[in-house]
Amino acid sequence: MPILESRRVLDLSNERGLLCGQILADLGADVIAVEPPGGSSARRIGPFAADVRDPERSLLWWSYSRNKRSITLNLERPEGRDLLRRLAAAADFLIESFEPGFMAGRRLAYDDLAAANPSLVYVSISGFGQTGPKAHYADADLILLAAGGPLILGGDDDRPPVRLSVPQAYLHASADAAVAALVAHHERVRSGRGQHADIAAVQSVAIATQSAILAAPLRTTELRRLAGGLKLGPLNLPVIWPAKDGFISMTFLFGSALGVFTRKLMHYLCEQGYCDEATRDKDWIGYAEMLLSGREPLSEFERVKGIVCNFTRAHTKAELLNLALERGFLMAPVATIGEVTRSEQLASRRYWRSIEDPAGGAEYIVPGPFVKFSATPIEYWRRPPKVGEHNREIYCGELGLSDAEFSNLVRGGVI
Amino acid sequence: MNSDGPLADVKILDFAWVMAGPAGTRMLADYGAQIVRVESPHRIDTARTLQPHQDSNFGADSSGLFNNCNAGKLGVAIDLGNPCAREVVLDLVRWADVVTESFSPRAMRKWGLDYDSLRRVRPDIIMLSTCLFGQTGPLRQIAGFGNMAAAIAGFSNLAGWPDRAATGVFGAYTDYIAPRYTAIAILAALEHRRRTGEGQYIDQAQVESAIHFLTPAILEYSVNRHEPQRAGNTDRDMAPHGIYPAAGDDQWVAIVCRTDSQWRSLCDAMGAAAMALDPRFATMETRVANRAQLDDVIGTWTATRGATEIEQTLQARGVPAYQVQNSAQAWRDPQFAHRGHFVEIEHQALGRTTVEGPRAHLSRTPGRVRRAAPSLGRDNQYVMEKILGYSQERISELTIAGVFG
Repeated sequence: MPILESRRVLDLSNERGLLCGQILADLGADVIAVEPPGGSSARRIGPFAADVRDPERSLLWWSYSRNKRSITLNLERPEGRDLLRRLAAAADFLIESFEPGFMAGRRLAYDDLAAANPSLVYVSISGFGQTGPKAHYADADLILLAAGGPLILGGDDDRPPVRLSVPQAYLHASADAAVAALVAHHERVRSGRGQHADIAAVQSVAIATQSAILAAPLRTTELRRLAGGLKLGPLNLPVIWPAKDGFISMTFLFGSALGVFTRKLMHYLCEQGYCDEATRDKDWIGYAEMLLSGREPLSEFERVKGIVCNFTRAHTKAELLNLALERGFLMAPVATIGEVTRSEQLASRRYWRSIEDPAGGAEYIVPGPFVKFSATPIEYWRRPPKVGEHNREIYCGELGLSDAEFSNLVRGGVI
Repeated sequence: MNSDGPLADVKILDFAWVMAGPAGTRMLADYGAQIVRVESPHRIDTARTLQPHQDSNFGADSSGLFNNCNAGKLGVAIDLGNPCAREVVLDLVRWADVVTESFSPRAMRKWGLDYDSLRRVRPDIIMLSTCLFGQTGPLRQIAGFGNMAAAIAGFSNLAGWPDRAATGVFGAYTDYIAPRYTAIAILAALEHRRRTGEGQYIDQAQVESAIHFLTPAILEYSVNRHEPQRAGNTDRDMAPHGIYPAAGDDQWVAIVCRTDSQWRSLCDAMGAAAMALDPRFATMETRVANRAQLDDVIGTWTATRGATEIEQTLQARGVPAYQVQNSAQAWRDPQFAHRGHFVEIEHQALGRTTVEGPRAHLSRTPGRVRRAAPSLGRDNQYVMEKILGYSQERISELTIAGVFG
């Protein structure tokens, strides 16, 4: 029995919030994407299948709309707003990601809808939150990453900070929104009452600073970006290291927890003839403090990194991954997307799933369930819907409109 | 501990450590879940050794990362390898609704604390294991951190400049994604148990959760057979879309135009209304094609101005812009202040410290930071006496037996 079976979700979100509804849909909720006539703005965002610009071919839509149904509804028309109110009266969740004030301007804000349905959980996803001095700021992925702190930490030190080339900000926000929706649902089961969840992407992306956003209030040094790593004061700490056939990510750090791994690695490098015993036997636990206090010259650290680099460069990514597995070293290959899809690990766990192509082509491969539940495994039972694919099913079959009413609404441009 | 909040009835025994696991249960602590976080008295939680350290002090209580991921939890120190510890842990399992752990797959079995063992004492227990690659498969025993998972999941290669090797994403990127799915999975399993009385086991591979944040890139490959490439700060469909220099040391401003009208507003703000008519830049399509020239023009204008000033000037005209904030700037940002993002709390060893507040705002049952993260073993006495109801004599016996280290 799916966990959220028979829970109805009205998903009015656009490209800012699609993932939230999909998470609830994966948990078995009946999620209805409510799109403007012509389709969600998310459907106009590429890449597109076969590079053909078409609302039925947006890979962003395909990515985050499985297990949902779709209806169209024009919120600019009073009849459209009335229909939404009728749908919301019987819904368990509503998700929206318009600019703050959009729903209130159409008398569709939380308070408006909760009057008729006090148990509604109403989720708003926005860049900066529903209120506050910058609530109405114009947003974009890059803007939110800049505002929320992660951007300044990533990139080459001789160039501007740089983002991940796949937009991330609203995915962080949408995942936080799904948590908030489930917290509110948990409470509603006891109290019978819903509430409004207000999620600001700018806060959600701050998690990607790994708490470095706290440096100022904690009165400590701000980290600085460095190609393939980061800088802490005078220390250049690489994370990405060259391999024979590409790159690896390796934790080569110090302190009472991580220094143990560095010590283990240096013992191996000595065994393999990459360094002498004096280098091997440095105090890897206290090494950062030695460097920061000047007891160990930075030039010596540079020499050590050169030794480690000689080792990584002499091996392929696969060889280094095997060493990580056999000896517990902290390193893993930097994979291309193609390599990710060919991963033996993911294949052995039967991770990938295939979904029917809504544009009528072949099946395509998508990431599998976000966790493996033993009792309630996540199923992908429905491909992403076409624009308004379930209009008749939902408006006539479930909301009880007559054929004549339905045709009128279609003719009037409401549906 | 009498708890309130929307999750006041949820009790979690949390063996997870470092970042991904603890950050997930921290989200639930904000809403009142009672969480007993178990640490080893002998092997320090790696997070306690990581940046940022309050006042640059490297002591075990001063990691802002640890304190951020564990705020609101009770902390006990228990040596799981001690034979007398097992009964204590099983009593905690009887108390708990949910058990979480993030060791490598062998560890819980070694201590006799795998799902089957726990189910024998608490048949409806929910157990969630989270690790880089999951409980099965050839890489299941890989020890490591989220930077490695980010590399192997495809994130690291997609951050950086097309003319250079990948810069990689900052830090343990999958540790920022997996916690949300940890919280979601726990709440979902609690809902299933409420409806059916049935507990379950949840196997979370952090890589598998995180790949959901790369799905469009996966589809670009699986549908179009096109290998996604890193692209600096450009966007395939938007220009300008970049990070531009501002006056001052390492000061930058992000500027994006999603529409032609935003571009005209930007030209207006730059005092270059004529440029809006320049055919090289007149439409989104031509701006995308002439991106490099466009960036030069904008960068020349921004370089002599303050980032905050640029942000305010452009946002006043509806153009997406923001200074690229470091910690000091975010800490002073009025929107972060309005959202209550930085929360000051009392900490046993530090006096006052600062953590991040709840990210989602719930109107009727808001989250809050209920207490500072524990110093090692801070709540041993409280948990043994008030939660487990142990007598003082029993607690002393356990102490002498070395259960608490």
